[in-house]
Amino acid sequence: MTTVEAAKFHLAWFKSFTPHDWRSTWSGSEERDWMTGDSHVDFLRALERARFDFLMLEDSLMVSDTYGGTAEASLAQGGYAPKGDPALLASMLLSETKRIGVIATMSSTFVPPWLLARTSATIDHLSGGRFGWNCVTSSENRAAQNFGMDALPPHDERYERAAEYVEVVKQLWDSWEPDAFVMDQESGTYVDHTKVNPIHFEGRWHRSRGPLNLMRPPQGHPVICQAGGSPAGKAFAAGNADVLLSLPKGLPDMKRYRDDIRELAEKAGRDPDDIKVLFIISPILADTDDEARELQAMMNSDVEAKIKAQMVNWSATMEIDFSRFDLDRPLPDDAVTNGHQSTLATFRKFANGRTLREAFTAYRTEAIEVVGSPATAADTLQEAMEFVGGDGFLVMGPTNRRYVHEITDGLVPELQRRGLVRTEYAGTHLRDHLREF
Amino acid sequence: MSAKMFHLGWFLGNGFGVQAWNSEWAGTGATDWMMPDQYIDLARSIERGGFDFLMMEDSVQIPNAYQGSSEYYLRTASAAPKQDPAVLAGILSQFTEKLGIVATLTTTFYHPFTVARLMSTLDHVSKGRIGWNIVTGSSTYAAKNFGFDMPEHDLRYEMADEFVELACKLWDSWEPDAVLADVEKGVYADHTKVHTLDFEGKFYSSRGPLNTTPSPQGRPVFLQAGGSDQGKDLAAKYVEAIIANPPGVEKMKAYREDIRRRAVEHGRDPDTIKVMYLVSPVFGETDDEAEEKLARRERAKNSNIEGLLAGRSHLASIDLSQFPLDEPLPDDLISNGHRSSFANFKGDGTQTLRERILAHSATDAVHLCGTPATVAAQMDEIMQEVGGDGFLIVGTPMHRRYVAEVTDGLSPALRRRGLIRSNFSHQLLRDNLLAF
Repeated sequence: MTTVEAAKFHLAWFKSFTPHDWRSTWSGSEERDWMTGDSHVDFLRALERARFDFLMLEDSLMVSDTYGGTAEASLAQGGYAPKGDPALLASMLLSETKRIGVIATMSSTFVPPWLLARTSATIDHLSGGRFGWNCVTSSENRAAQNFGMDALPPHDERYERAAEYVEVVKQLWDSWEPDAFVMDQESGTYVDHTKVNPIHFEGRWHRSRGPLNLMRPPQGHPVICQAGGSPAGKAFAAGNADVLLSLPKGLPDMKRYRDDIRELAEKAGRDPDDIKVLFIISPILADTDDEARELQAMMNSDVEAKIKAQMVNWSATMEIDFSRFDLDRPLPDDAVTNGHQSTLATFRKFANGRTLREAFTAYRTEAIEVVGSPATAADTLQEAMEFVGGDGFLVMGPTNRRYVHEITDGLVPELQRRGLVRTEYAGTHLRDHLREF
Repeated sequence: MSAKMFHLGWFLGNGFGVQAWNSEWAGTGATDWMMPDQYIDLARSIERGGFDFLMMEDSVQIPNAYQGSSEYYLRTASAAPKQDPAVLAGILSQFTEKLGIVATLTTTFYHPFTVARLMSTLDHVSKGRIGWNIVTGSSTYAAKNFGFDMPEHDLRYEMADEFVELACKLWDSWEPDAVLADVEKGVYADHTKVHTLDFEGKFYSSRGPLNTTPSPQGRPVFLQAGGSDQGKDLAAKYVEAIIANPPGVEKMKAYREDIRRRAVEHGRDPDTIKVMYLVSPVFGETDDEAEEKLARRERAKNSNIEGLLAGRSHLASIDLSQFPLDEPLPDDLISNGHRSSFANFKGDGTQTLRERILAHSATDAVHLCGTPATVAAQMDEIMQEVGGDGFLIVGTPMHRRYVAEVTDGLSPALRRRGLIRSNFSHQLLRDNLLAF
């Protein structure tokens, strides 16, 4: 190995405000206590100690009853529901930390832009500039029905709406000029009204007069995160996002995706280095490589349970009842979704004509497999980043304290020793962390 | 059938010193050990996990027994550097609500007045959750830091007895109703209820009274680790929880019966003294994984003869590097430090130093190894045999991953069996210890 200084990459964590890990060997009292947020505070403190960029909190807004036409399987399994409001949790977590960022998911389809602009500006102020918004368009009719709609708008239209939505939100954040807040004791002027302007936004789908009733957030615009895999999603992300969660699996597809996004960003007139592409990993760590392999084999040994868990989750997000399909045949050609289209397309490509049972058995959410001692896992990540070019990883694993500590106190020190991740935060805002390298 | 409910304590075996620092899962242990953060995490975690208390060991010297040099100890951060546990106790009390916090203070190196005042202060700021681990000190080198030669073993215990007696008198020097805090009359304390002692002992004297008010517990909970006869007697007389390490279930049972008998002889209810056994369970996702981990750890330890010799040299204050490894130790070699444990280590002279050091590398009273469910079952069985009263987890290397295995793996498994508390029924450490 050469001694050229390695390029640094970013680390973040991905989870939902749910009893994510409630029945494993190390889940503690999570099944009863998750809703207090206390375990999340511990997680975030640990991630901050390991100098992670941020925690991203996923969200959805329904109890799914797609699988088998009943909510039984999805509620019994947990994971999709119950689920608490991530923006409120973000606010609590940020108040318990000093440097790390938190990104909360909020749906452009269900929240009025003015309200989202205000909530996110408020949390950005509360945290001194460490908040981000994961912009989703939502993917479930069941969620739409909770908001009085019959169904979601069609997939691509949701992205058109979202693009306009982001435009309104940005204009609202900008509706206070940076020097509007004068606080002049002598003249008795708190705010200079000439620098607080209505936006009079009149779009195809959204209207807002403005201005926002809160001054410009510390970051100007809170960080925008996105997870687009479809062409519409990618174009949207390239134009708007600071950070992207990406779905492609395997090094060649990961590299292609990142190159694509950077090219699209450049075409949209942006510096491609201003948009970070993060890849999902679920490292399986142990004292030795053999032990990690054994652990992996054990985790995968209950094939039936694993297949069912995946089908129940996808039934919820794609609103396709997977319980109707014959596991010993391939996914029917007419299975389509108005929800997570690129996830389904990726899966279909991955299955490549295999039966559902075979495909689900082999399927992984993570971009690359990371299994071994911390040193071996660090090798895997280092090689992946050298091949792909950047920009980092999003850890999604069984979020219990033991697992979090394996990452923060086992894997991260090894990455730090190699100079691959930061050992101290350089900036104060979440966007500073993202643009630090 | 399950055992009766029992108590859990965490024994921080290397005190406020360097914990895991160069092993996997050590996190920032190498650079951050002197900060309170990892101990705050530990204290909060074990409070959540139903532990009665956190107990911090201490020692006050940089060892140089082995090869007459501090090299091994400082190179490997063994037993030094180490900071003052009483300071950490104060900090931890502010980050916990109910957990007991026990600091080790050496009678030989303090004046009773200092200990009495320090403990009262800590008991106040913790709202009645402080314990004192009474030790007499064992290291020649520690004594030299204080400018004298270590008193002989039995004499130390005699001194400790008087030390505790005087400290208790100081804690009692304010009558319970001495503080009036009467704002209207302008009277804070009634001086007729605050008494001088004019204590004149064989070793210590003190005028008194203490210059702090009576603390929530009146006096700290007393803990002690006694292996010798004098140690056990001191324990039976004063102590409320005793740290025990006899090997195997039968000796554990005999030890507890002995302590309870001695307590009765001192006129105490034997249920007011809790015998807690040192254990360091090893966990895995499966029993096989845990056993492999334990075997791997034992192999690493046994291949490090230097480490074993340096550790034993430190405990005994004897440089064991001067003796040939493949011959027995000299007959007349005795330790003024941990006397009973060194005599036990040396054996009857039929085995070589190498054989003895390997045979004695195991620190555990019993074998606890497996998934959390397996270890919970093992603990259940041991407590049924022994009769009580609980375990002190001494997890080394101490890092956050191991702490999570105990508090988020073992504790729920013990709770499912109804063996440990699910909440604290009292505010005071003493009351929680006596709750069952």
